[in-house]
Amino acid sequence: MPPKKNNFFLGPGLRTRAARAFLGVGALAVLYGIAAEIGRGRLPDRIWLGTHYVENVQLLPPYRSLLEETAFLLESGILLDSVAVSAGRVLLGFLLGGALGILLGIATGRAARAEYLADPWVTFFRFTPALALLPLFVLWFGYGEGSKVLLIAASVAVVTLLGAHQGVRSVPRVYLEAASALGASPGLAFRKIVLPAASPQIFASLRIGLGLAWVTIVVAELIDARMPSLGYLLTLAGAYPRVPTMVVGIATIGALVLAFDLLALAVHARATRWMRRTA
Amino acid sequence: MKSVSTQRLVLGFASLLAMVLAYALVSNAGLFRPEVVPPAREIAVAFTELVVGTRPPPVTESDVHKGHHGHSSDHVGTLLQQGVTLQGSLAITGARVLIGLAAGVPLGVLLGVLMGWSRRADDYLHPIYVLLRSVPPLALITYVMLWLGHGEAHRLIPIVYAVAATLVIPAYHGVRDVAGTYVVAARSLGARPWLLIRKVVLPAAGPAILDGLRYAVAIAWMTAVGAEMLMSENGMGNLIVGGGLWASRTQTKADPAVVMVGIVALAAAGWAMDALARAATVRLTRWVR
Repeated sequence: MPPKKNNFFLGPGLRTRAARAFLGVGALAVLYGIAAEIGRGRLPDRIWLGTHYVENVQLLPPYRSLLEETAFLLESGILLDSVAVSAGRVLLGFLLGGALGILLGIATGRAARAEYLADPWVTFFRFTPALALLPLFVLWFGYGEGSKVLLIAASVAVVTLLGAHQGVRSVPRVYLEAASALGASPGLAFRKIVLPAASPQIFASLRIGLGLAWVTIVVAELIDARMPSLGYLLTLAGAYPRVPTMVVGIATIGALVLAFDLLALAVHARATRWMRRTA
Repeated sequence: MKSVSTQRLVLGFASLLAMVLAYALVSNAGLFRPEVVPPAREIAVAFTELVVGTRPPPVTESDVHKGHHGHSSDHVGTLLQQGVTLQGSLAITGARVLIGLAAGVPLGVLLGVLMGWSRRADDYLHPIYVLLRSVPPLALITYVMLWLGHGEAHRLIPIVYAVAATLVIPAYHGVRDVAGTYVVAARSLGARPWLLIRKVVLPAAGPAILDGLRYAVAIAWMTAVGAEMLMSENGMGNLIVGGGLWASRTQTKADPAVVMVGIVALAAAGWAMDALARAATVRLTRWVR
């Protein structure tokens, strides 16, 4: 067992860390502002796209036009509506796919028979880019909500299944044997040994799955593309192309992923408090 | 040992066979329209045509009607006219995946180990990493294209980016979760930081990083296919959506038979690549057991 946390390894306090985070991000933001100012008038605004020229492109939009764009998107209600709709789809698909993946992963990790039965299919679906399923899902589940949510669920389920499976399988056998020798019922061993030991890998896969869900929504929302949705907002911005809208759209998705991720990290930290770390 | 691997083979094979049979039964039972759930025969036909690269002339009148439905022959036909073959598309996508991995893996591991190792680097870089990582790779395509023009770069950069962003997490957690005793023991025995990283931290974090590599392989395929669906005139993504450009691609009616052939091919290629990664994992982490 690792030693108790001691001062030797205890890092600087929360305030220092927050200050450093602020400094790092702030430096990047200032650098961007400078680059945008330098680039203004120097970067080309007429760009050849292989088939045609596009005019009035701001490759590095300065903060002013980003602010104007944000104000416009907020005032018109486009941004908030899009966020609500897209986040709803992502959340639903994530919960559905995550639950399914973790359950299946635990099943295949626990029972050899289940693993043998599932193995060819897991092998198969793991490498099926969920996006390739898009045309099929449209045919099967129609142009509505179903195919979008299910596409996200499919991409999340594959990742969490793997994470849960490997997490469960990596539990040292000695622990389980020791527990059963001490008279622990399988249920108790599962709750007290398997789940805690597998949880870091499950959470890691959930974090990856969450990122994937947001990757998928960008493409999934091309199905029956209509506002309000962040995916279609990005596509429209890319089609014109209108860089400020793109940047605001990407930043919004980034902020949402960030919020979800922080939540996942907090849950992870709480759920694995029993693990002591070096730092 | 032997009976276990036999059982594994038998059960795996049985489950595959059962599913394929069930599919064949359902698709031929006439419960669904063939444009929605293509009969197994049609999938086989699409497969051979895409591999051979030509369409055999119809033998009998009934063949023409049985084998090809209106839009089904369109999708395969369009692809064949463009000289697209299954193996050719697979090779192109595979090359993009490999390039993405070759550039993305070192980048991601380096960043992850740095952040996991140095508290200071973590404090400064983690927020930036999380901000950058939050950007879906596929959302970047158009923006990269504005900078670099319509070429290969805007398909490759999202892949590199996705791979690197994926690998940072396992490398970071792998280094972070190295048991404190190991580090304390090595330090108290006088190990210098470099030795510590090489002999203690990297081996301890190795399994996590290699697990991450397997995720990264899957994500590289996914990003490559997604990028090709959106913005490429070759590769598997193009094969699956069958021509067209930009957002209009998802509006074109795809032939499910071609999509299924494409999915099976992608699965096979991904499986082969994963088998390599797994073999590498077993070899590199022999000391664990």
